[in-house]
Amino acid sequence: MVSSDLEYLTIALPKGKLFTKAVGYLADVGYSAEGLSEDSRKLVITNEHSKIHFIITKTMDLPTYVEYGAADIGIIGKDVLLEETKDVYELVDLNFGLCRMVVAVPENLKRNKISDYAHMRVATKYPQVAEEFFRSQGVQIEIIKLNGSIELAPVVGLAELIVDLVETGRTLKENKLIEVAQIHQSTARFIANRVSYKMKFERINRLVEDLRSLIVKE
Amino acid sequence: MKKREFMAQIPYGTRDYLPGEARKKRIIENSLTNLFLAWGYQEVVTPTYEYLETFQAGAGCEGLPETIKFFDKNNLTLALRSDMTTPLARLTASRLRGEKFPLRQCYLANVFRYEQAQAGRQCEFFQGGVELLGIPYAGGDAEVIALAIQSMKEAGLSVFQFSLGQVDFIHGIMQEAGIDDECQTKIKHYMITRNIVGLESLLASTELTKPEQEMIRMIPQLYGKQEILERAAKVVSNTKSRQALDNLQEIYDLLAAYDVEQYISFDLGLIRDFDYYTGMVFEGYTPGLGFPVCGGGRYDNLLAAFGFDCPATGFAVGIDRLLLAFERQGIQFNNNKESVYVSWQEGNLMQAIMETMNLRDQGLIVELSLQPESKIQAQQTCDQKQCTKLIYLD
Repeated sequence: MVSSDLEYLTIALPKGKLFTKAVGYLADVGYSAEGLSEDSRKLVITNEHSKIHFIITKTMDLPTYVEYGAADIGIIGKDVLLEETKDVYELVDLNFGLCRMVVAVPENLKRNKISDYAHMRVATKYPQVAEEFFRSQGVQIEIIKLNGSIELAPVVGLAELIVDLVETGRTLKENKLIEVAQIHQSTARFIANRVSYKMKFERINRLVEDLRSLIVKE
Repeated sequence: MKKREFMAQIPYGTRDYLPGEARKKRIIENSLTNLFLAWGYQEVVTPTYEYLETFQAGAGCEGLPETIKFFDKNNLTLALRSDMTTPLARLTASRLRGEKFPLRQCYLANVFRYEQAQAGRQCEFFQGGVELLGIPYAGGDAEVIALAIQSMKEAGLSVFQFSLGQVDFIHGIMQEAGIDDECQTKIKHYMITRNIVGLESLLASTELTKPEQEMIRMIPQLYGKQEILERAAKVVSNTKSRQALDNLQEIYDLLAAYDVEQYISFDLGLIRDFDYYTGMVFEGYTPGLGFPVCGGGRYDNLLAAFGFDCPATGFAVGIDRLLLAFERQGIQFNNNKESVYVSWQEGNLMQAIMETMNLRDQGLIVELSLQPESKIQAQQTCDQKQCTKLIYLD
């Protein structure tokens, strides 16, 4: 099963917080499969009747699957697209999974402006986004790439600042961190592979239109 | 101190072609060259590097971040060619302007760009292509598109599709709406990357009226067969966009005469990422490749940048991309030519040489052993080399 099979449409879905909602949206426009769940042991879930394959990937890897054409289309957060900068078509803002990418510091380290944080260490899961943000502010910083529990870094003195995704801001509060800047807002996006979009245009475009009208209704 | 072991590496984004791979590459290159020659195109060769100014004049901008640059001994900036269209425009404008036009030129060349490397997208890659210079008419565009399609077939691809667009269609709409240059550049960027979400938020931040925003937003959706042209004609009223649609219709009618119109879809959001295009643009796609296998278009102003006003149109096909598409689609090369291994018993080398030359004269591929072997050894070597026949002189 590869996406070069013109009869089938391969859809990539990210594990994690977008998964359930993404599956729901797709089901609403007629794209579903039996046994499609996040903890499915099957790697590929197929609906022979509607000619669809679903694959479930790690969040950060999803754009790669779509860029290489291993999946034709996918649903993924804008935050991941900004970090991974892959060549994919971004077709619809699905308007769910709202979260914000922010810079935060421990209360006692708070300064007046961003440039006051020059040469400090920034812990993040999003090194590209963090680097680009500070560069655009003309501030040099040292990036420390971590794979999780970012808010731990300032507590144990690994870094002074963090760049991370927040939904409610509760985790920040619990760790006595304050937001000092918002880098961007993120929502779920419907993306497509460049060539699949052309080779399977009618199917993908119909799906795009259906998703659009679904969002408008909500 | 431990001696550092030398590990010979090749630079980022480059690759070696091993014997079997290089052979396939050569087969494709030969079939392309023969095809181009058969259509009346003549091969030209230009330097691998030129002055950076040449490429800057071609691109109409200074930065060229993707171009690989270095200095000569007089500290002038040189650049490895990042495409062949600009060097051929420079060549034509400076050395061939006295010739009888139209000129038909073709090339096979390696070109260089800083890219985020992956299979089929290297920093050094190989292109074959043609430029048709001196023809402003749709007939020229139809010829290069038909030739591009023929190249796909000749190389051995059976499933592929071409998208055809016209940059004036978008330009006409943007000019009519009175969009400034800076914003036009942004819109074009979003069109090229098909970032529809970005495009919408950009449009919402402008002072364009709702219908104008809607018109630009729907451009990328104008994709499909011939009926798209009629659909587009209903929504645009400005002369430039209308003429672009007429131009596409004319090209399409001629492509029908070439009997290749079945491969064509229209994509009015297609503008490609070279700024020099002024008219029709196209790209070819094949399953298994995440990017176009070939592409081209009309560039009527590029030669004027070198002081010679001359309309032109052309295309290039990525040879590495063709190879990758074959591999991913499981297409076999028919390499059925008989190959012979000639071996000999001690003392028979001269006889073996004569026999070998004889067979080569008959057009066979012949490999001669240069040391004596027993018949059993010879058969083993022959099998290892995958030669189809053994001739043993005892």
